[in-house]
Amino acid sequence: MPPLLLTDFELMILLAILRLGDEAYGVTIAREIEETGGRRVLLGAAYAALDRLERKGLVSSWMGDPTPERGGRAKRYFKVTPRGVRAIRDTRQALTALWRGVPQLQEGHA
Amino acid sequence: MTAPRLPHLAIALLERFGPDREALVGDLIEEFERRQSLAWLWWQVLAAIAAASLEPAVEIRPLRLVDLQPVDAAERARRLLLRPRNINLTGTPVSGVGGITLLVLCMLVTIVAPGIWLGVLASILAGVVFGLALIRRHDGVQVGSTPIWSNQV
Repeated sequence: MPPLLLTDFELMILLAILRLGDEAYGVTIAREIEETGGRRVLLGAAYAALDRLERKGLVSSWMGDPTPERGGRAKRYFKVTPRGVRAIRDTRQALTALWRGVPQLQEGHA
Repeated sequence: MTAPRLPHLAIALLERFGPDREALVGDLIEEFERRQSLAWLWWQVLAAIAAASLEPAVEIRPLRLVDLQPVDAAERARRLLLRPRNINLTGTPVSGVGGITLLVLCMLVTIVAPGIWLGVLASILAGVVFGLALIRRHDGVQVGSTPIWSNQV
């Protein structure tokens, strides 16, 4: 089976969803990436990536209940599918294989 | 200092042109309440609309020429020809937006954010000035400059 490889942004999104568990929706995913991953996130771009990941079967989503603090709009929750977990592992393996044996990336190298 | 009010024009634009309207709009409202930044909200809205317009609108499917039966192909071609087509007969370049819609939109802009008209006026004036400057420069080059070959003759 060919490896499922992700872009850096897709990988960050999937990892953020896994870290958040049942509380993974647009705002919390973006906040997790910004605070933990140190990357600024545009919510529109995050949704575009999430839609793409859902089309590939790497995440699934469902709508929650509307809440007044969101102007009566519902939250869209996300969950990583088993295929998504496999994609994360495949991407990590590919990156680790590329990483290995590069002298400039060894600890202590200036 | 008072907290900025949620710009309804931005939300209306996003609901009209943005992706995944309900969840994204809700997320932006929730985050706007925390950040209280109009610039942040407008930047997010414009980026979301741009991202949605760049995403492919239709799913690309591979051609299935092998297992398609001729009768099925003829039927599909017939349906394709019978499919209604939208033709824009209004005076506007945007399909589905007629003169009355534009009028209502202008009225809404005037009510909600009249300051936008100053921006539009300034843009028109800047365009005219820029165009005149280009024409003047073009004329100046033609009249004032000497052809390259004149020195060689």
